[in-house]
Amino acid sequence: MSHKVCQPPSLLDRWMQENNELVNKWQQEAGGDAVSRDQKAHLRSCSSEFHKLLQKIQGVPPLADHTQLELTVVYNACVCSVAQSHFSEAELLLIQATERVLQITGDNPVATDPPVFWKTALKSVANTALNSSIQYILCLQWAIWLATCQLKTIQEFQDELFSLSESLSTGDRVDRRSGASGKSSDIPLLVMDPRRLFELLQICTYIAQGAEKLSEGQSSEALSVLQTASSLPAPKTLVAYTHLLSGSCLTHMSCPQMALQCYRKALETDSWCVCALYQSMLIYRQLSNTQAEIQALRLLHSTLMLPSATEPALAGTHLLSPSLLLCSKPLNSLLSVPSALFVLHSLAQKCVIYGRVSEGVECYLDLLNTLHSEDQHGMHIEVHSLPRLPELYLEAGAALLMARRPTDCMALCDEVISTTLELLPDKLVLEEPEEKCEAEARPVGEEGEDRVGMLLWTGAAYLLQGHCHTNLKDWKQAVTHYTRCINLLVKVHFKRRGFQPQIPSVDMVGKQGTDLYILQRLKGLSLAGRGISFSQTDQLREALRDLQLSLQAFPDCVGAGLWCGEVLWRLGRRREAAACWEKTWSFTTQSSAENLSLYLKEPQSGPLLDSTELRHRIQGLGPTLSA
Amino acid sequence: MDGRCAVETWAEFGFSGASCTPTVKLGAGAGVFICTGSDEVYVFSAEERKLTTVLLFPAPVSDLVESADKQHLYVACRNGVYCVSLQFLLSRAHSSPADASSSPVELKISRECLVVPEEGVLSLLPVGSVLLTLSQRDTSWVLTVYNSPNQSASSSCEMLASYSLLQASGVVRNDTEERTGMRRRPVLICVHSSDATTSPPSSSEATSTDGQFRLEPVLFKLLFGIDAALAKSPVILCGLPDGCLCFLPLRLPGSRLRVLHSLEQPVVFVGACVVMETGPGHAQCLVAMGELGRVVLIKTDKGGPERGGSIAGFIERCVPGPVMCGCVDQKCLYYSTGSDLLTLDLSQGGEERDEEISSKTGAALQSPASLNVCRVIAVAEPTCNTAGEVQLLGLSARGQLQRITLPMRREDASLSKVAFSHVGRNVRDLLSAIGDVCERATTLKTAIKSKNQILTHLNQVLNISFLLITSTNSEEHLLLQEKPIRCHAVTKWSRLLQKDSLNLTCVLDNSSPYVLEQGWTLSITVFPLSYSPSTGGESPSTNFSFPFHNLHPGETLEVSLPLAAAGDSAFPMTLSCSLVFSLSSLLGEEAANVPSLQSSCFSLPLNTLTVDWLHALQVNRPIANHKKATSQCSDTAMDTIQAFLSSRRIRHSGRKDGGGESSSKPEQEQFSASIRVSSELLRDTLVLKSSGLDPQGPMLAPQNVFLSLLEWLLCEGPGEVRTEHQGDKISSSVIHGQCPNGHTVKLSAKEVNVREESLGKEESLTTVEVHVESSSITAVCGLHHAVLHRVQTLLQRAPERPASTKTVQSLGLRQALQRAEHLSQQIQQSRVSGAFGVGASTGKMTRSLLRVYRELRENPLLII
Repeated sequence: MSHKVCQPPSLLDRWMQENNELVNKWQQEAGGDAVSRDQKAHLRSCSSEFHKLLQKIQGVPPLADHTQLELTVVYNACVCSVAQSHFSEAELLLIQATERVLQITGDNPVATDPPVFWKTALKSVANTALNSSIQYILCLQWAIWLATCQLKTIQEFQDELFSLSESLSTGDRVDRRSGASGKSSDIPLLVMDPRRLFELLQICTYIAQGAEKLSEGQSSEALSVLQTASSLPAPKTLVAYTHLLSGSCLTHMSCPQMALQCYRKALETDSWCVCALYQSMLIYRQLSNTQAEIQALRLLHSTLMLPSATEPALAGTHLLSPSLLLCSKPLNSLLSVPSALFVLHSLAQKCVIYGRVSEGVECYLDLLNTLHSEDQHGMHIEVHSLPRLPELYLEAGAALLMARRPTDCMALCDEVISTTLELLPDKLVLEEPEEKCEAEARPVGEEGEDRVGMLLWTGAAYLLQGHCHTNLKDWKQAVTHYTRCINLLVKVHFKRRGFQPQIPSVDMVGKQGTDLYILQRLKGLSLAGRGISFSQTDQLREALRDLQLSLQAFPDCVGAGLWCGEVLWRLGRRREAAACWEKTWSFTTQSSAENLSLYLKEPQSGPLLDSTELRHRIQGLGPTLSA
Repeated sequence: MDGRCAVETWAEFGFSGASCTPTVKLGAGAGVFICTGSDEVYVFSAEERKLTTVLLFPAPVSDLVESADKQHLYVACRNGVYCVSLQFLLSRAHSSPADASSSPVELKISRECLVVPEEGVLSLLPVGSVLLTLSQRDTSWVLTVYNSPNQSASSSCEMLASYSLLQASGVVRNDTEERTGMRRRPVLICVHSSDATTSPPSSSEATSTDGQFRLEPVLFKLLFGIDAALAKSPVILCGLPDGCLCFLPLRLPGSRLRVLHSLEQPVVFVGACVVMETGPGHAQCLVAMGELGRVVLIKTDKGGPERGGSIAGFIERCVPGPVMCGCVDQKCLYYSTGSDLLTLDLSQGGEERDEEISSKTGAALQSPASLNVCRVIAVAEPTCNTAGEVQLLGLSARGQLQRITLPMRREDASLSKVAFSHVGRNVRDLLSAIGDVCERATTLKTAIKSKNQILTHLNQVLNISFLLITSTNSEEHLLLQEKPIRCHAVTKWSRLLQKDSLNLTCVLDNSSPYVLEQGWTLSITVFPLSYSPSTGGESPSTNFSFPFHNLHPGETLEVSLPLAAAGDSAFPMTLSCSLVFSLSSLLGEEAANVPSLQSSCFSLPLNTLTVDWLHALQVNRPIANHKKATSQCSDTAMDTIQAFLSSRRIRHSGRKDGGGESSSKPEQEQFSASIRVSSELLRDTLVLKSSGLDPQGPMLAPQNVFLSLLEWLLCEGPGEVRTEHQGDKISSSVIHGQCPNGHTVKLSAKEVNVREESLGKEESLTTVEVHVESSSITAVCGLHHAVLHRVQTLLQRAPERPASTKTVQSLGLRQALQRAEHLSQQIQQSRVSGAFGVGASTGKMTRSLLRVYRELRENPLLII
């Protein structure tokens, strides 16, 4: 002990020197434009150095003389640990250090409950020189709570935490003064300014709380919290987050226009806030503002394609990045942005649906190109997933057909067919889905589902090829392809519970989106296509049969209805024709196939019948009819 | 499969207990990369058949691969993945000044080459421009995709994507891991659909190296889905140590690692091969092999009648494990169980009906054919040489790099009748193989034989050592018994180059049942019992060593050594004999180069011999000389002339020490000493001694006792040293001799009756008095000491007798005591005066001491 008594001053100095050297080294390295990986390694080495130093210091019983230094080293070591996400390690250090301080002041550590423990600690050092040091340490505890999403604990302790602000600033001033008067070696240095840390923690806490409240449905409360946060001094990324979250609150409160304002503010604050762009796109979609939606999608895509966008938006220059502190689930789901590919697909789809076909085609081709490029490494496993690849091909084919590029469309379809053809089953039984939840529970890509899917995709590819030949007025080829499609589709048997499998009949029209629905729709479309083709080659009897079958399978088919009437007309069954037309016109209005895949839509490219001309005919027929 | 494999050992590497599966990889340009799990990677040139480079990495190496463009070598270490340019390697290997005979270049790979700082990478796979790594994190497998370093701007790889899969809880894996202490490396291969245009460049080959396979499209689609086929994406197949076979379409958005099959035992090998002859150049079958011998064949099957189409068929069979490593070529699967290399023909069954195929394939799978190559623990991809033979490159458990050339596959019964030349070649191959084996066997035999010999040798040595050690320890008991291995000696004066010298012939007698074999050395150390202070206080000892070859039981070894020249008076001398065994002789030539072994030998003491004045005495025998004059004229004439000359010379040179030829200088002071021994004792002992040897021994006449004593003194001696004299029996009672220092000595013996009175009785005792007389006091002293010493041993040998004459001596004893007391007083006086330095000079003191000494010698005690 006597040895120690004579040693402390020199030991203290040495430790302090070591600490300050480490801090300086860290700041020099971090200041340079180092690659993030090197920085990580550097952080690791720094952290271990600090921990070693701390072990040395804590090897000595707690003494009031060097507690200040000890707490500083604890702070530094913990900042490094937290930066490496070693939260439990850091928390243990903090509590140990505080207990040592309490030993000096003579207060026994009372409770294991963290807030009570910290309150005791704060109280026991209230008017001593250690006050500010303990507060730094408390800030770190706060950071750990935040990073581990213990928002409730923070809530309990919020008053004390937020009141740290004043004392920190005064403590800081004292430190600065002493720093100005003396050499830097006299005071132990800190790796991170506690004042900065406090600010960061404060706004991050607000953001996390806002997100939590929003997810709990307390939108207005969340909004008030976020409004407070938006006025705080903070990095612009975080300020942008507050605006963004406010926008989300407003969306939940059904104020889309105000939400849009907030998103705009967020984007103005931080131009890399792609999430705001995405959210505004969703609002435009909700508002059915197609032009704005497409515009937003385009912007979003080009932003995502920028190399910097792939980097984490919150890569701060500080030791503790905001992304480390903001990790709650609701927040992350609010901040998530789909991948560039998904955005591109949405963009392509929207363009085609809203008539900007050539743009849409370009997007589709871009998409396919990207998928085939070697740089593609399917890294995003995400909620917003792309449709299956064959569907993408078919959609692109349909778009190409719309853009009057039938040969390109045929090439794409050929590719799908060549891929699937060998795997097609001879016979397939489609079972009625038991319940919806069960259907959802089925894992994607299971063999059985894949077989149905493959058959439907191949059918759709044949259908599209038929459309292409129709478009080229190559009726014979068109008939061949439509026939292939029909032949394929009749292989599918449908099994209802308690019944034998059978070829699905007219009345079996499933709900939209089910395999059965798609099957029937394909059947209807292909029969209609073949019927129309037959009608063009004056095989009216066959045409009539097909068109009628088509209407049975899929009654909403406008083309089939109109052409059925036309064929009837040509066959001289004018009244029936008129009735058929009337009936068709009556359901055109109600048929809504918004969510349907592009390739399942009725072709707009085939031989057309002018409705006005048809009406004229009916009118011409009318008097005779009435007469 | 009949026929034999030709195994050619190319190199040998030190092979320590590795922490990871050892690897052998065939690189481009006939380079072979070998990693045994240590920090080193060996680069072996198959063309030059030598180790060209050794790469030293900072951590244990777990895997290595060549990049897709064959420009780089990726090496996975414990602390990350390193990238080494092959061009650089080549240039370093060639630029080294030393040539073919030299040792390989050692290259230390620094951290600058670290391209992926990910820790714990177990396996690597380059696919096109990307590099895949597989590592284990806690309870999941992590497959990470990196950009190649030359693709990205910086020197290190850029991470593109990462996929993880929860580890299956495998009991088998833990078990084997604990048993072998070895971490099995996960297997990574890349499968391309063969209709994909972006497949590897070497499209003509069905299977290409480095884990890149082209698979039949239908099977590809069936296994990996049509999305992967449409995207023309390569698929990564991982065979994991937990038994899972998983796959990942590399370039598909939203793809993830999925399990294809589970082998329920650590996967050792995954590959693809062509099973049907008619198929185009792509693999139609995937093969996976588990550590315990489970083989899974995955190929396209016709679907059942109710389903139609094709389905993927999994055929699972078991072969006897454990499987250490495996590889596959077009038709065959080769695997090593550690004790044998086996082959499975996967193509059997041909294009027959489904059930038959599966059953036949199953049958083939169950009957692997042995190739009779043992201890292979790693193999590289099989290659075909120009003759169409399949060649495997294997690494044996001993760290030998072996090229295994498989016998030609027998195609058919008719085709097996190959050309005569081929048969001839086969026979030649077989013969040479037999020759090789024979040669190896011979060398092994010789080694074993020599080791056995060494062991027998060592056994003999140990036996002898124990024998000698016990005999040394229990010397007292063995005093009278003869030691089984001992030395005795004969001294002889000889004349060489006009110079007399006393030679000692030492005889090592091996009467033990053991053979003294090569490696033993007889070492004799000669040192005088007393020495003059002029030599510096150190014993002037001389060491003689006589290595010898074999000394069988009963044999003797005779060595002679010069003991002293004339004029040398450093008698008596002690000869300490010992046997020295050197370990290096035991081990032969190998040990000769080890310097520390050179001195490692141990020495076992035998017995100690003493050569005293009597031994060194040259007896002048005028009668004997006369007798022999006719036969050995020159010799004896020379002797006399020499004696004459030397006496003349001495006379001329003057007398410095007061000595000289007593015969020619009567005025010279004569010193004398005498010893009295009871003749009864002599009769007992000398008769006892010679009884076994001499027929007339017991009849030894009483008057001859003193003669026999003299003879015994001069010739036989008490110990193991005898003196060889030229003459025969001593006839006179007075012997004149010449001492080594040149003085003449008269040694005489006569019978004296001693009378004593005690208690009124008068008893007489016949004694023999030996009288030594010479002008040199040194000679007198030496001879007196020698005679006394011998009589002492004679006494020790005397049989116990009842004390009949004990009383006789009592008077004599008293007188002797009185004399001794008186003398002791005189010595005391002279010492006191000498100490105080009063009165007398040192010369005077010496004289008085001398007088005391003479008095002591003049009146000897009677020795009974």
